[in-house]
Amino acid sequence: MTDGRPARIWSLVAAQAASHGGRVSAADACVAAVAAVEVTGAWLIAANGAQSGHLMRVTDEASELLAELQITLGEGPDPDAVASGGPVLASDLDEMEAVRRWPAFAPAARQAGAAAIFAFPLQLGAIRTGVMSLYRVRSGPLSALQLGDALTFADTATLLLLDAQDQTAGNGAGPAGAGPGGQPADLTRHRAEIDQATGMLTEQLGVGIAEAFIRLRAHAYAHDRRLSDLARDIVARRLRLLPDPDPREDGQA
Amino acid sequence: MDGQLLSDTFVELTDTMVAGFDVIDFMHMLTNRSVQLLDVSAAGLLLADPRGDLRVVAASSEAARLLELFQLQNDEGPCLECFRSGQPVQAADLATVSLRWPRFAPAAGQAGFAAVQALPMRLREQVVGALNLFRARPGAFDPAEVRVGQALADVATISLLQERNMRHSDTLNEQLQTALNSRVIIEQAKGKLAERLGLDMDQAFNLLRESARTSNRRLSDLAQAFVNGTDALAGLNVSRSQPRPPAGRPARRLES
Repeated sequence: MTDGRPARIWSLVAAQAASHGGRVSAADACVAAVAAVEVTGAWLIAANGAQSGHLMRVTDEASELLAELQITLGEGPDPDAVASGGPVLASDLDEMEAVRRWPAFAPAARQAGAAAIFAFPLQLGAIRTGVMSLYRVRSGPLSALQLGDALTFADTATLLLLDAQDQTAGNGAGPAGAGPGGQPADLTRHRAEIDQATGMLTEQLGVGIAEAFIRLRAHAYAHDRRLSDLARDIVARRLRLLPDPDPREDGQA
Repeated sequence: MDGQLLSDTFVELTDTMVAGFDVIDFMHMLTNRSVQLLDVSAAGLLLADPRGDLRVVAASSEAARLLELFQLQNDEGPCLECFRSGQPVQAADLATVSLRWPRFAPAAGQAGFAAVQALPMRLREQVVGALNLFRARPGAFDPAEVRVGQALADVATISLLQERNMRHSDTLNEQLQTALNSRVIIEQAKGKLAERLGLDMDQAFNLLRESARTSNRRLSDLAQAFVNGTDALAGLNVSRSQPRPPAGRPARRLES
């Protein structure tokens, strides 16, 4: 098992942010993925809830064209990934299957120089924050290692986009490392409880699912607790969070 | 093994697969059928996330789910060995294997299990997960039952591919991710429903499944709509079974 993968990917993203001296953002995940996954270019479309997304970052001209083509034509791996809730791994755009699936986009993408496109929805269950895509000038599938890394870059981008939505984190939080976004979220332990607690918080706090997850992470960070431990307390009903912009505990057992 | 039940199960599984279905719901059904059909007390199903983790996606009981999690956390046990080798792993008497699995063997005993059979989920060269069968009584597993168990594991693998073509490992990986994300959506929906109606997680899950069946919708679609607030699951309040108070300290209601 590769327990160190989220931390390794996080350090690549943080290094990318450090190279331009800014706060770590989802755009850094997009840029860092290009070298790590060994692709030609990448782009990231951020979408807040049901609103249509905006092109947040492209790494080269072809990426920009590939992203815009899909928006214009309304077809391609990006919309399919968003609709299906799973990645779309089009490792050969010349294949009949790809051409049948995207009759307008597949030839246009080939023209733009892409031979393979891998689209990853930026999601956490029902939480949807956009899509990140990678392209290559040569056809062929991602290796198992590259696929695992690409998925982890997408996870990291998802969390960073959620951090960016967090109003409280923007105030007073310093550069990379200072907020909940300053570390990779540990979602590998007690995953089911984290997801269940997030669902419970939508009711306790009267907020949407994305906001519920943001509040869960913020609370864990503010109280210096592991996300999984906090989630288990909430699921066991030992702890409730208050519907208050300043999350405080309502007594702990 | 009950021949009638075996053929009924086969018909049910194939009927479901041609009709279009929810993978997580289907895998949950597979673990339940494994227990009914085979001489085992519990079953659990793990899928391999290409990120590098194994994840529990279905279990016939909470005890089985916890034991699967225990193996993952301690990085030892028959399910992990089965997954890593791609071969079936059997432990006919867990009391005798405490040297091999010093943490897993006692934990399984405490959970009430004495024997385990782990069966790989394979598609050609790729191992995508494992079906694990737990039995309360020690003793070797009947080879005929193991064959049926492996067939159920294979059905689980095929269900990942659904109606899509099987030529590409790409397709399998796409479906695997979709299934894993569906699991997350369903957990989020369980949490929301449990909190709204004061249920425990199992009750919430059963209610969601029941509601999906009644409305003839895929479980993950229903769960997504419920989480997003576009489906309030109207009518659940009247049709639901009597809620039990949650275990432990009773929750306080907050008025907001």
